[in-house]
Amino acid sequence: MHLVKFLPKNLAKLLLVIVVVCWCFLGCRGIKWLALAKMSSISAKQLPEMCQELIGLAKRQQKICRRNVEVMDSVRFGAHMAIDECQHQFRNRRWNCSTVDPVKVFGNFLKLGTREVAFVHAISSAGVAHAVTRACSKGDLQHCGCDRTVNGRSAEGFEWSGCSDNIAFGIAFSQKFVDARERLRKSKNIKRVLMNLHNNEAGRKAVEDSMQVVCKCHGVSGSCELKTCWRSMATFRQIGAILKESFDGATEVKLEHKKKRPALVPVNNQFKPPTRSDIVYLVASPDFCEPDPKTGSLGTSGRVCNKTSKAIDGCDLLCCGRGYETRTMTIVERCQCKFYWCCYVSCEKCTRTVDEHVCK
Amino acid sequence: MGGVVLETLSWKKLIILGLFLLFLLITFFLIGGLIAPRPTNVVHVIGTKCVNKGGVGNKEWFIPRGGSEKCIQYSSLDDPGIEDDRISANQIVFSFWLPHPREGIQLDFSRWQQTMISVLDLTILYDDENQVEDDAIIQLDARISYRDKEDDVNDWKELASSLEERQLRCEMEGKKENGYAYNCDLLSFFELGSLHYDYYLINIKVPVEPYKGINAGIGNLRDITLVGIHQNGGFTKVWLSIKTVMFPVVLAVLIWFWRRIGQLSRPPNLLERTLFALGIAMSILNCPLEWFTLAIDMPFMLLITDIRQGGFYAMLLCFWIIFTGEHIMDQCERNRLVLYWKHLLAVVIGCFCLLLFELSERGVQLANPFFSIWVTGVGAKLALSFIIVAAIAASCYFFFLCYMIFLVFRNISAKKVALPSMSKSRRSFYMGLIYRFKFLMLATLVCSALTVVFFIISQLSEGQWKWGDEDPSLEYTSAFFTGVYGMWNIYVIGLLSMYAPSHKQFVQGSNAGGDSQEEEVQLTYLPSSSETSAIQSFAAKVAAD
Repeated sequence: MHLVKFLPKNLAKLLLVIVVVCWCFLGCRGIKWLALAKMSSISAKQLPEMCQELIGLAKRQQKICRRNVEVMDSVRFGAHMAIDECQHQFRNRRWNCSTVDPVKVFGNFLKLGTREVAFVHAISSAGVAHAVTRACSKGDLQHCGCDRTVNGRSAEGFEWSGCSDNIAFGIAFSQKFVDARERLRKSKNIKRVLMNLHNNEAGRKAVEDSMQVVCKCHGVSGSCELKTCWRSMATFRQIGAILKESFDGATEVKLEHKKKRPALVPVNNQFKPPTRSDIVYLVASPDFCEPDPKTGSLGTSGRVCNKTSKAIDGCDLLCCGRGYETRTMTIVERCQCKFYWCCYVSCEKCTRTVDEHVCK
Repeated sequence: MGGVVLETLSWKKLIILGLFLLFLLITFFLIGGLIAPRPTNVVHVIGTKCVNKGGVGNKEWFIPRGGSEKCIQYSSLDDPGIEDDRISANQIVFSFWLPHPREGIQLDFSRWQQTMISVLDLTILYDDENQVEDDAIIQLDARISYRDKEDDVNDWKELASSLEERQLRCEMEGKKENGYAYNCDLLSFFELGSLHYDYYLINIKVPVEPYKGINAGIGNLRDITLVGIHQNGGFTKVWLSIKTVMFPVVLAVLIWFWRRIGQLSRPPNLLERTLFALGIAMSILNCPLEWFTLAIDMPFMLLITDIRQGGFYAMLLCFWIIFTGEHIMDQCERNRLVLYWKHLLAVVIGCFCLLLFELSERGVQLANPFFSIWVTGVGAKLALSFIIVAAIAASCYFFFLCYMIFLVFRNISAKKVALPSMSKSRRSFYMGLIYRFKFLMLATLVCSALTVVFFIISQLSEGQWKWGDEDPSLEYTSAFFTGVYGMWNIYVIGLLSMYAPSHKQFVQGSNAGGDSQEEEVQLTYLPSSSETSAIQSFAAKVAAD
């Protein structure tokens, strides 16, 4: 009885281990911690022990988690924000950033070093940086840095020269936590590691570059004799848009050893080497037309398309020439809404008939 | 009749003195640039969305963090819980606790940080169906309270509360798409003249009354960020040390100057009295009153400092006019304040307007820290008219000053032509006059030019951020403040000591008409500066001519 029950389970485990090992040798250094996004909320107690229970954390990330338990909720929120934003930016494309399941998140898709994977890396590290910075500004975190290196070098810290803005801490934490997985061990697949690290950095750079310098004059009688400036962070939607632009202009790279140090250089040697804010990828993306478990593609059948558009969201391109079905639907909508801040909308109900086109 | 110290100094001494003052100036600049941190820094707080379950009249304080005292809160206004719990706008309280916890400790404000002003940065997301209306006005029900470290965690004491209206100026740049944020102007919020307590708690409600149209067109407001700008403790320490050192120094020079004048057998002339008044204005500005703020709550300090500074600059402007006027070298006798009424009126009107403006802004803020004259239509017009009148007065002043300087130079060139034909004593008298005037012109021009240069450098450095740059470079803004402050101190000290009556001529009586041979006796080795002068003798000679 016992044997019968146990054997398949162990076998499955063994298989899983083998799969995982192979996977890792293939270079599937997936960002499994994104699974945090799917958790409803991290327990309010915030004990170091909970780190073992969190899904998808690498060993080193667990260590960071134990040391920074209070930050984990922001990490979760950042992951959530990143996936949301990814889905928003890619809502009209064949690959629409849909997640496969709560644990694997993106599944096999992350195996290849494609543009899309590069984007996911960039936006997730941006998400963590953004969320942690925000949490610091809200005062939710006790251990944000005051970072005196920027503003002064006195031991008296805050009294002497105040604290630096919170972005330094957000970026530093994102770097520590997100990059931990890549720095995990000496991998044979060095180019994937380099690619991921580069794209993680590009994401954080986008957060930093999107910051606006705002100034206030407050000298004698409000003159600009005395002016104080600070940086304010853009909304995550704007950061997503910046990263989407980088995605569109991403550079295909290959591994090369420069002075015995591995580095990524553009495949096309006419191009300049990628800068810190560029997104880089190693292999061309599949067309994502058909479902393919190898590439993690879900295919486009069943997707709603736009009949009139000639762009990628148009039915011709989105359905990969397979054609589409048109459904006529009657929908009940809110209309003539009046919005009252913060959270109240009074609307009327209208019924409307619409044609919906769905890829075959 | 006696000349001034400047004329009796040898070139060598003068150069040594000049170098010494230059060295002092560089020291001031470096103190600010190397020791002091930048003058101000910001505390950047995103409001926590607390929920008021206690009805409209609920006067409790909503505290964003802590143990049991922490308010019921939502992480975002998009939280589905808000709709589920039927939370209305009037129940949402944005709560800010300044300063932040950092590195595991709840930071607290230090009295060294002196003052704080704050602005609000609204995050309004674009929404097709719910756009920000043109000329929308946001009404804020704001309260501010304070607590000290050792007080009970719930023991927040109210400092001020007010219902404030602010004009929203928001625009969409680039893509108009849902989820993108409007680019809104900062809203001025409050100004605290003293940071006497450890913690400050700010609660803001955005009451909505659809029938009255209150807060109806503010769009999809998601977040309020409060940016508190406080002075840096380190800067205050450096600044106050400079003041504490300079105050007795200038005072000592001033007393020495007045005693010199007292030793004269004639009553002090107008120029000497003006110089004395300038010294007094400088001493008032130097007086390190700020020491008291470390012990006593003095919210009016900001106002007093502004007034003191204004007083000094007004005095400086008056001094320049009078000094130039006394050196015109034409046929009329001056030496009376009344003659300068036109010019001084320009200064007085200008300064009075700025004072009124200051009083109606910072003065009212003593009663209501949330007040700003710029936010209401009438107030803004009033403020603007004050500033315009002050600007007109300033231009009148500069016109007068330039005209007088022109007169002086015209007379100088006329006198230079006539110099060789003059008698020795008259020649030396005029040459002394010219020399003194040119010296002051040069010193003043150098000081003004340095002020402008420092100002430009500090503004440029402010505009160019070097974030994360860890090398300890110069802090230009602080250097500007200490440098300029030190420079005007040196200027006043220089004037007081250079233009004090020289004791080398005390032997001679005040015989205005007599020749002053004694100068030649003692200053023969100084051909270029062996001139002496006196306004009275000048006047008498003119009369004799």
